[in-house]
Amino acid sequence: MDQKNKNSKKPSYSRFSQQELSAWKPILTPGWVIASFLTIGALFIPVGLVALSASDAVVEIVDRYDEECIPDAYSMDPESFIQNPDIKKTCVRSLRVPKKMVAPIFVYYQLENFYQNHRRFVKSRSDKQLRDPEANNDTYHCFPEARTSDGKPIVPCGLIAWSLFNDTYKLSTRGKPLTINKKGIAWKSDTEVKFGSNVYPKDFQKGGLIGGAKLDEKVPLSEQEDLIVWMRTAALPNFRKLYGKIDTDLEAHETIKAEVENNYNTYKFGGRKKLVLSTTTWIGGKNDFLGVAYITVGGLCLFMAINFILLYVFRPRRLGDPSYLSWNRLPVA
Amino acid sequence: MAGWREASGSRQGGDNASAGTPLAVDRNASMSTIRLGRVQPQAPGHRTVFCNDRDANYLAKYKGNAVSTTKYNVATFLPKGLYEQFRRVANLYFLTISCLSFTPVSPVSPITNVIPLSLVLFVSLVKEAFEDWKRLQNDMTINNSSVEILQEQRWESVPWKKLQVGDVVRVRQDGFFPADLLLLASTNPDGVCYTETANLDGETNLKIRKALEKTWDYVTPEKASEFKGEIHCEQPNNSLYTFTGNLILQKQTLPLGPNHILLRGCSLRNTEYIVGTVIFTGHETKVMMNAMNVPSKRSTLERKLDKVIATLFGVLLSMCLIGAIGSAVFVSNKYHYLELWINGDSQQFNPNNRFVVFVLSIFTLITLYSPIIPISLYVSIEMIKFIQSTKFINNDLRMYHHETNTPALARTSNLNEELGQVEYIFSDKTGTLTRNLMEFFKCSISGETYGTGVTEIEIGAAKRNGVNVKEVEKSSHAIREKGFNFDDARLMHGAWRNEPNPDMCKEFFRCLAICHTVLPEGEETPEKLRYQAASPDEAALVTAAKNFGFFFYRRTPTMIYVRESHVEKMGKVQDAAYEILNILEFNSTRKRQSVVCRYGDGRLVLYCKGADTVVYERLVGGNDELKKISREQLEQYGEAGLRTLCLAYRDLSPDMYESWNEKFIQAKSSLRDRERKLDEVAELIEKDLTLIGCTAIEDKLQEGVPACIETLSRAGIKIWVLTGDKLETAINIAYACKLINNDMKQFVISSETDEIRDVENRGDQVEIAQFIRETVKNDLHKYHEEAQSIIHGSSGQKLSLLIDGKCLMYALDPSLRSTLLSLSLSCSSVVCCRVSPLQKAQVTRLVRKGANKITLSIGDGANDVGMIQAAHVGVGISGLEGMQAVMASDFAIAQFRFLTDLLLVHGRWSYLRLCKVVSYFFYKNLTFTLTQFWYTFHTGYSGQRFYDDWFQSLYNVIFTALPVIIVGLLDKDVSASLSKKYPQLYKEGIDNAYFNWKVVGTLACFSVYQSVIVYNFAVASSTTGLTSAGKMLGLWDISTAAFTCLVITVNLRLLMMCNTVTRWHSISVGGSILAWFIFIFIYAVVFVNKGTYFTIYVLLGTAYFYLVIVLVPIVALLGDFLYQGVQRWFYPRDYQIVQEIHRHEPEAVGAGLLAVGNQLTPEEERRYAFALLPRERSKHTGFAFDSPGYESFFASQQGVTAPQKPWDVIRRASMRQKTKSPRASQS
Repeated sequence: MDQKNKNSKKPSYSRFSQQELSAWKPILTPGWVIASFLTIGALFIPVGLVALSASDAVVEIVDRYDEECIPDAYSMDPESFIQNPDIKKTCVRSLRVPKKMVAPIFVYYQLENFYQNHRRFVKSRSDKQLRDPEANNDTYHCFPEARTSDGKPIVPCGLIAWSLFNDTYKLSTRGKPLTINKKGIAWKSDTEVKFGSNVYPKDFQKGGLIGGAKLDEKVPLSEQEDLIVWMRTAALPNFRKLYGKIDTDLEAHETIKAEVENNYNTYKFGGRKKLVLSTTTWIGGKNDFLGVAYITVGGLCLFMAINFILLYVFRPRRLGDPSYLSWNRLPVA
Repeated sequence: MAGWREASGSRQGGDNASAGTPLAVDRNASMSTIRLGRVQPQAPGHRTVFCNDRDANYLAKYKGNAVSTTKYNVATFLPKGLYEQFRRVANLYFLTISCLSFTPVSPVSPITNVIPLSLVLFVSLVKEAFEDWKRLQNDMTINNSSVEILQEQRWESVPWKKLQVGDVVRVRQDGFFPADLLLLASTNPDGVCYTETANLDGETNLKIRKALEKTWDYVTPEKASEFKGEIHCEQPNNSLYTFTGNLILQKQTLPLGPNHILLRGCSLRNTEYIVGTVIFTGHETKVMMNAMNVPSKRSTLERKLDKVIATLFGVLLSMCLIGAIGSAVFVSNKYHYLELWINGDSQQFNPNNRFVVFVLSIFTLITLYSPIIPISLYVSIEMIKFIQSTKFINNDLRMYHHETNTPALARTSNLNEELGQVEYIFSDKTGTLTRNLMEFFKCSISGETYGTGVTEIEIGAAKRNGVNVKEVEKSSHAIREKGFNFDDARLMHGAWRNEPNPDMCKEFFRCLAICHTVLPEGEETPEKLRYQAASPDEAALVTAAKNFGFFFYRRTPTMIYVRESHVEKMGKVQDAAYEILNILEFNSTRKRQSVVCRYGDGRLVLYCKGADTVVYERLVGGNDELKKISREQLEQYGEAGLRTLCLAYRDLSPDMYESWNEKFIQAKSSLRDRERKLDEVAELIEKDLTLIGCTAIEDKLQEGVPACIETLSRAGIKIWVLTGDKLETAINIAYACKLINNDMKQFVISSETDEIRDVENRGDQVEIAQFIRETVKNDLHKYHEEAQSIIHGSSGQKLSLLIDGKCLMYALDPSLRSTLLSLSLSCSSVVCCRVSPLQKAQVTRLVRKGANKITLSIGDGANDVGMIQAAHVGVGISGLEGMQAVMASDFAIAQFRFLTDLLLVHGRWSYLRLCKVVSYFFYKNLTFTLTQFWYTFHTGYSGQRFYDDWFQSLYNVIFTALPVIIVGLLDKDVSASLSKKYPQLYKEGIDNAYFNWKVVGTLACFSVYQSVIVYNFAVASSTTGLTSAGKMLGLWDISTAAFTCLVITVNLRLLMMCNTVTRWHSISVGGSILAWFIFIFIYAVVFVNKGTYFTIYVLLGTAYFYLVIVLVPIVALLGDFLYQGVQRWFYPRDYQIVQEIHRHEPEAVGAGLLAVGNQLTPEEERRYAFALLPRERSKHTGFAFDSPGYESFFASQQGVTAPQKPWDVIRRASMRQKTKSPRASQS
């Protein structure tokens, strides 16, 4: 018997090798289907309602100004207007507050049809250079705004920085100016780590072609929050970027005077510019999408659940009915 | 060359050694055509070996004895291994993509593609290296095992690799021969030694090798060092059983044959030691020359996979085309902030050259969308299949055969899922359906039939006719032992003396005891002695003689000793010695075997046994009554499924014998056409025979065969039996196996009809061929019409087709082939009898190619090699038979009945699992890529990537890799026992219900849906500030959120595909999602210069993120959920119903498995005891027995070869060395 055991090639038993691991065997029974739909419906609709009401509580003012801010004389040729440095670009817009807006009120500019996510645009920057004063020369990816004509590195280099948005807004209500606080509009991780506090702009916007705003060479990049915001490239060609905050409440039906310095050239490519004032709630700015989605999905699920319940009542399917087996269904040949 | 020929011609004079001593007990000598590999052209000329003289041999530059079976060495591993990898289209594709990603057109950094590719290559190379390492270790073990070599009159131990041609070596008992040796001397008398060739051909019966008389003395080192011979022999070749050469010793030329050669890989048995001289070394030895690689089979699923991948590639190209057109249209100088008019590094965005933009964009987008082709698919599938075969199939206790101690063996892991789709099984009969356990069952002596047993086939036949036959009770003193299941008081214990013809009985018994090639082994008592026989039939016959009182107990090359009882008078026992003068061996053309022997009193007799047809042709005239009665009895035996042999004898006169013997010796020593000449000489003496009687041996069915066949046919599998047997035997076996029953309509196409016989008797070959062709043609068309009308009728009658080899030959003609195919496909069972191995392969190929169905061939012998290789899946029966079928097979199982487990359980599961794995791979990569695709539309078709490089490269490798492998290993719809209880479930595999275009299409739809949801939901909900601080999210924040949703979605989707969820499922799915989070938590901190810096932490601070990762996966999966719910509700699949029926039953774990082997029933005890006996090998002799030698002859003629992997032989050789074989410890 010993010898037998020694020479035995009998495989040893294990639950794995015999494929007998204990397992949960879920079966998608009608009960499960109905229960799942009901549960999802029951959970999603309230969440959706909450999200939607949060979004509803947001007060948002959107004002498109790119067309209106072109003097009539230039309406056929806005480009020559915007490219002419001698013409004063200020234009005044008046905005009406529909509901009471509680501080903080956020001021955004919204650009449309601006491909900040174009491959050429996205990669045209140097994160190293932005962070590290030693890496001024790291302009490899910054083409075509890498160096000045005499070969000095541009800081910050690249198309993104070069095309920095340069419209400015001045708001006032009832004659009193509203201070726009431009501190703390960028993500903390950006100001603290990605943009160096000892990196200063150099040779920026000195070329023949001016893309956008200029930077104060005395202020380190980590404090150039407009640039930081701009350089967190948007995902879509229509995007909003934070311009500043207003720390005063605005009463309903108040009129706000917005003095817009219309510098940024979106006319060449038919882009749109909007000024947005918005409050936020826990969910952020005005965004009905999530709430609507939750409610729709929840509603759909409830609808399905009801359908399946009706099915279950009127055309039940007995579980494990052998007559459903294909070889029982077909007449035996 | 010329001199050598002359020498061999003139050698006759000096050669007395072989005269009068026809020693060859070894059957293999007659089967000169067996080889394992393809016939290799022999190098011209011959080799001359100077024995015991290294300096003289040095000039010839023979190869050393070291062998290497590895594929690579240190230097070639990388180039060769990489080359092998890049021969795969998928890898090459990814190499191209990786190269592309180094160019500026690429939107992604090279790591995106390089990392997955290198990981895949790394895994594959590690696997290759591991396998090669094992081979290397085997080689080292073998090369370093020691052998004793003669040096300065002493035996010195040296490693095998140091051995050179011409060296004189000593091999001890149970040792392996280090090279091909010429046997010089042995410690046994008469220079005889015994070898076991199990490593060559799997046969464990001992073979005798005998040294030339001239060299018998070179046993001691002193004497052996005097040996200075010169060997002229053929160049190394791969024919295992042939050898021609001469030994020139003291100016005498001695002819050498295969019987003087000891082959590397064999081992020495029952001999203290032998001395031999090395002829062929290392890779020039016959066993190594036989080693060759088999082109591996690919599964149907994998071929289908290629098509799907090609389709995906098409999808990829059209996606690129759309994107590229968009890109060419989009580029415009109006987007001044992009400064497109400055083209620094490439023309990629030059608005003035839109065509270039278009072309370059195609490349850009190909790189971007490359993950649509799942790179890790192949390596994952390989891994899954490897584990499936090594851990599951090889370890399945249900497929472990206790009696022969043989587990199942998956020799390839390529074909696991093919096992789940088999529609046609081609089965050999002998050894596969039947047990190859031959028992002496009945006999007829002088027209009187003896034996009271009733075979199972007869019982079955009686049952079919409504008669209930009970097996006859055995008389109390009946003897029952292996090979003998006979009871008739009229013959036992000397009672034959009182029979009407006692002299004939005596001849009958003597013929049984003398005319054979059996070797006795062990103590010379009837109880303890064991017979070593080349075929179990022979052993059964000799065992029968023993039980009749003619106990054959000793054999020397010239003598046979028989202890005879009751001959002179009742109860008297006497020893008789018979001098064996000649043995005329069995082969397939002769179908008979004869022995010329001289009695003690000088009587010269030729005993002959053979197929009835050949023996009847050679009978002396007269006594027609006896012949007629005997023929009737033969037919009766045949009907009962018994194997028959006719026995006859002839008294010879000394003069006549002497003159014949001279011719015989001449033929025996001829160098050319020895076989044919011997046959011709045999014809001269094998005539005018007197019929003694005939024997009937029962060929037992394997255990569980009928039940297995019934289960398989319920599973929709059609079983064809292809056998070399007679029509009647085949039909009977088919009946016994429940393949055919009386309710079936039987179509018989046989050449054994009177009309054909008439034409055959006229003897005109052309006319015969024409006549048979016409008959077959008419039959086929007639039956085909009939079959069609039955199928289209309402009777529902099942059909069966029986066809014999001769008719098959004509039916396989191109003009009739299609009719044959369509007729046989409409039959539920087909039996082909009297078929050659080539025809077996042809029939298999006919169905495989013609009907495009998945085929499986199962067989056990060399004759099945052709069909095993021709089928999609080849299964060899291991354990009892030779190794050749196993060597050629893809799976080896011990018993036919294990097919149920192999196909219905392992095959079905593997198929299901791999379908899931493959479709899941498509799904996840398509979904991933489509999200990218949707993003392209929003980026001005610039090819900007949505995800970070590392997300993309790790998506396949880490975040979605493991769970799918777990599913590929562990998913099962219903338990093993239910799979067998409901064999019909298997049909889904046959119909390929889980991986067809419909499935792929549905999957693609859901993939599109999910990608739309994931992309749009994540993006659309992020248009405004998302925290109360009003800050906006950038591209990388949103893509991180989308990617999180995607990873969760695809991982949960996998869970929805599972039928079972073990903790491994939960761990791997949970782990993958967790791995993503861990990765991003670390990644977002470490890489400051990346856009992804800190994204996840930003996201965690928003309500948006939490709302989205709950919403998106649920919405994305809702579609699948609804689909699955509706499908199950309204169109449930069979397995789903079975799941529901048994949903409350706990799965039986380890049921009946642990108990097996520990508690043996008496029956099992007996079988186990049998299994411990020296194993019988089947090399069938006699009529209607399919003999491997016979059939492989055809096979090799037709170029069908039995391949073998080099390392198999070597490995087994080395394994045997490590663990002393059980046989060795017994003897």
